Amino acid sequence: MEHNYISIKSLKADYRQKKQSVVALESVDLSLPKGQRGVIIGPSGCGKSTLLNVLAGLNQSYTGQVLVDNQPPICGGKTALILQEYGLLPWKTVWDNVILGMELRKKSSPEIKEATQKVLEKLGLLSMAKRYPVQLSGGQRQRVAIARALILEPQLLLMDEPFSSLDALSREEIQDSLLKIWEETRVTMLLITHNIEEAVFLGQKIFVMSSCPGHIVQEIENRMAGDYNLRGRVQFLEMCNQLRSCLRGGEYYAAGA
Amino acid sequence: MQQGHKTTGKTFAFLSSVVILLLIWWLVSLILKNPAVPPPLDALKSFVSAIQRELFTHLGVSLYRVLVSLFLATIMGVPLGIFLGKNPEIDEKIAPMIYLTYPIPKVVFMPIFLIVLGIGDTSKIVLITLITFYQILVTTRDAAKNLEKEYVLSVRSLGAGSWELYRHVYLPGCLPAILTSLRLGLGTAMAVLFLAETYATQTGIGFFIMDSLSRMNYEGMFAGIIAMGLMGFILYLMLDGAEKVLCAWKQRAS
Repeated sequence: MEHNYISIKSLKADYRQKKQSVVALESVDLSLPKGQRGVIIGPSGCGKSTLLNVLAGLNQSYTGQVLVDNQPPICGGKTALILQEYGLLPWKTVWDNVILGMELRKKSSPEIKEATQKVLEKLGLLSMAKRYPVQLSGGQRQRVAIARALILEPQLLLMDEPFSSLDALSREEIQDSLLKIWEETRVTMLLITHNIEEAVFLGQKIFVMSSCPGHIVQEIENRMAGDYNLRGRVQFLEMCNQLRSCLRGGEYYAAGA
Repeated sequence: MQQGHKTTGKTFAFLSSVVILLLIWWLVSLILKNPAVPPPLDALKSFVSAIQRELFTHLGVSLYRVLVSLFLATIMGVPLGIFLGKNPEIDEKIAPMIYLTYPIPKVVFMPIFLIVLGIGDTSKIVLITLITFYQILVTTRDAAKNLEKEYVLSVRSLGAGSWELYRHVYLPGCLPAILTSLRLGLGTAMAVLFLAETYATQTGIGFFIMDSLSRMNYEGMFAGIIAMGLMGFILYLMLDGAEKVLCAWKQRAS
């Protein structure tokens, strides 16, 4: 039996809005096996980010069972989080942003130096190590955020609409890079997106969420995800259309069924 | 190349401003023909002569009072401001007190400080510290409160505790606002310093200016004014330099 790296049962979570507690998630059940790529898609305000914050250990105000590798989620553990605007600190250079997580984990200087050089080289950022985030393009910033997460060798990579502010080509390019990284590391990934094509391209499991309060309305196994040549295929477009109608309130039916 | 043009342009603009100000001063002195407004050259000669004598000591005393006051205001205002900005629930309880006391012109407490703390440096330093402390506190608190939540979330997700958040997020994130408040505070501190040094003291540039006035030594008075202006200008330049070094990322953005 496959080991579920993420296991969520009957999750109810709140978030604070103007001093009031708002129920963001209700009766959420979700499981994702170790080493799989999951994608959550749903309308704005359906609590997707709250769900990710719970899994990252940033939101403790929840009831129900949430387990990450059979443990309740904690900050700074084996989980890395990439936020929508990347969360890079503008006052730190690329190098200093990337090493921050290792510094916080009190790693030795030679260890930090070696790991940083390796990860920056892998993501094509070594020549930009001394630059500040403001001097980078959106795609480069995204790579820095990925580098900052990967350097910690996480077991779970959470991403909150990480490509939303990129143009279409940069978005596809970085989706491919992410896929390559996954192939090398086999890290468990859970990604939030508004983009249907992105969900179909990346998500081995696609979780469709409803809004107010958010819960999972459909869980889709997507066997075609992860094929670099998928985007131009008819099946890809068909699945995108099916997912689109599902988001509009219809039922999803398996392609070819 | 472009950077070089920018620097030359700035230097030219600065020198032009100096020349224009000196011209205005010279014209005013010509029009008024009053010994209270000597021409720039006479005043500068007087400044050079006075600084070689007693003015230098007065300048040292005033500089000491301003620097100690700004230092005390910073080490109290910055941590408290960041703490309140980071903890809105505590700020909510403290904010009404700041709101009520902030608009009170603290300079009115000068007589009380003179009575309670004596006529020495302490009363003057406490007065300047109190006034600049509020400016630094309010600006820093607002900067910490308005810091992008993403910065905090992303660093927390990396496992940062409270102290590390102060170190990596709040302090560097608030630094531009802190330096701006220090620059504004410096102007206020100089004004209050002048006032504080005109009563019950025989040291400081404020005393030197008023003493020269009472002896109708207008050139000496202007030497004191130049000394005070130069002190403010040099301190302002130092803060500007500190911002260039400490907030290098801001320069890259522009």
